[in-house]
Amino acid sequence: MQSVSAEETIQRLIFSLSELEQLGETIISGRGNFNVSSRTYLRIIHGTLQVTSCAILLYQPAENCLAVEAAINVKDESLSIPVNHDDIAAILESSTIDISNPPPTLENFLNPVQPQLEHLGANLWAPLKIRDEFLGVVSLGSFRTQDNLEDWNRELLPVLANQISVAIAYSRLVDKTRAEQFRLFMLSDTATQICKSLDTEAVQEEVVTHAITLLDASAGGLLLINPITQRLEMKSLFALEPEANTQLENLSIPLQTDQETSSALTPIAQVATQEGETLISNDEVEGLLGRRNLMAVPMRGREETLGVLIVADKEGRGGTTPDFTDEDRVLLEAFANQAGVSIENAQLYQEALEGRQLQAEMDEAAKIQQNLIPDTLPDISGYEATGLYFPRGGVGGDYYDCLPDANDTWGLAIADVSGKGMQAALLMATLRAGLHSEVTRKEDLPSMAEALNSLLYASSTSGKFATFFYAQLHPETDQITSINAGHNYPLVIRSEGGCDELEKGGVMLGMFPNDVLSEISEFEQETTQLGSGDVVLFYTDGVTETVNTDGELYEEERLEAVAQRVKNESADQICQAIYDDVMAFQGEAEQFDDLTLMVLKKVS
Amino acid sequence: MASSFNVSTRTEEGYAVIETDGYLNGPTGEKLAETAKDLMNQGYNTLVINLEKTRLVNSIGISILIEIIEYLQEHGGSVHFCHLTPVIERTFKMMGLAQHAELHSDEASATANL
Repeated sequence: MQSVSAEETIQRLIFSLSELEQLGETIISGRGNFNVSSRTYLRIIHGTLQVTSCAILLYQPAENCLAVEAAINVKDESLSIPVNHDDIAAILESSTIDISNPPPTLENFLNPVQPQLEHLGANLWAPLKIRDEFLGVVSLGSFRTQDNLEDWNRELLPVLANQISVAIAYSRLVDKTRAEQFRLFMLSDTATQICKSLDTEAVQEEVVTHAITLLDASAGGLLLINPITQRLEMKSLFALEPEANTQLENLSIPLQTDQETSSALTPIAQVATQEGETLISNDEVEGLLGRRNLMAVPMRGREETLGVLIVADKEGRGGTTPDFTDEDRVLLEAFANQAGVSIENAQLYQEALEGRQLQAEMDEAAKIQQNLIPDTLPDISGYEATGLYFPRGGVGGDYYDCLPDANDTWGLAIADVSGKGMQAALLMATLRAGLHSEVTRKEDLPSMAEALNSLLYASSTSGKFATFFYAQLHPETDQITSINAGHNYPLVIRSEGGCDELEKGGVMLGMFPNDVLSEISEFEQETTQLGSGDVVLFYTDGVTETVNTDGELYEEERLEAVAQRVKNESADQICQAIYDDVMAFQGEAEQFDDLTLMVLKKVS
Repeated sequence: MASSFNVSTRTEEGYAVIETDGYLNGPTGEKLAETAKDLMNQGYNTLVINLEKTRLVNSIGISILIEIIEYLQEHGGSVHFCHLTPVIERTFKMMGLAQHAELHSDEASATANL
């Protein structure tokens, strides 16, 4: 051991005071990172107290041990010393602990860890603490100075330990302040960013990732309510473990549960109810998605709850899992409120976009359908023929046509497919294609109707069918041979007065397969003689079932009456007069159905 | 959406490049800090940290990055970040990292004046 002169002692005291000042300046410099500056503190201790070795060991509550944070002249810096609550209480009772002669309360703690103490070269310990909170210890090796200075050193050690404790506390305060600063920034900045996006999936993903960074969580997910299935369905998931992603990406939780269907996930579903409140689970509960801890907040839109936002496995320094706190709850709820509006906006935008796309498709389909219905009907010697078609929406299920057929006759067809919109339009197109194919065959009308029935039955979904009327016009004989498959009876307005209805045929097409149909009834055809000036009116139920503002139906009587009144006009004029009369009857009332009319007049 | 974290390193004359891939949080930040210290022990005091494949950083990750910067500065070194997402760049500026480390758009500009 060295002998020290009075002059050297004074110099060392001055050095110590100077180093203590520097220590204080380091602490308040704003760079409060203890991890980085711990070696500086050790260097001061080493120089001031003239020891062979020294180390700072910090308490790791997650592992219940003391771990080396920084060391000088220590053989093994990776060592750790297990410590329990009783040991900590005993350490805190002493201002310094002589390792070779410890108080009896610490013997059970120190004896089993002699190998670690030897590696540390430990001779003297001083606890690091802020009030009653244990932070760790400063461990000193042997003093290199004379024995008579040890008392002086022993008095200085607690002072230095207090300074280091303050530095640790300050470092933690800086970390906490930094975390708060980060959270405030994330809350204001990311919410603004999320609001800018209108891509539903991107918004959902952003909400989850920002929520987990905001709360220092390791995992998270967004479950949204499917209003049709009444289940919460996973829409976006973030987990560090691939196996968790596989298990949870298709997670679906029923909103309504009873005793039989209740599960460990039911508390999460309850968060999504209208009165649902935030769920915080700080216990490792099996079933709550297998996470160490978890917080689930309701995500609300403008008027209703959209789903649940979950964050899980909160992180602390040193691999710890701190509890989710009330402060966390307030923060995540504030974030979820902003994010909910963003998600709702994105959903509404997506719906509007899909609506526009659907409308564009409907407009395109309407154009195609218009091409399936003739602009003008062909010139037929001795006859005038004309027609009009007004679908209720962009596309409809009505159809009329006039085409030459294989029997050197003219075929006049009118049909009304059940239902509305695209499905009806597609079935109408099928019927038209089938008809154009069938008229090239020299078949009788019942055979043609059976073929079309078979086609429509195979093409349509259950409950879809078509009423259909087809007439073969023989200009040489002025006869029409017709078949009526459940359609409104066409009217033959006689020039000399009176009216006949073309009713013979069978059931509507596409309702039954042919083998069943044959057991119910067989298709029949009829032949009608036309005279000069006779008018045949083909129409769909959109004409006779037009409703006025009083809720009255137009009905056949009005149709026949107006036809009788204008039967001496041309086919075009008759058609227009009937249409005008129907529109006048309808007035301001809404059009409920497609409206189709075809007029054939024998003119010579 | 899965996320693991990987760190790869490359040494050049006078500096080392660390490339990260994944969520930069506590455990992954410690991994990055260890890598940085290993490189320093090999004599590389100038580090370029390429965050091109990192989209998320939490507050603990930020704290660890600050520690790496302070640690390097104490040893006369410096840190240069590149390929930051707009959110991470704003976060770095707001949290004060930009005052003690340089932020660059890409690796070429980060290493141009080293």
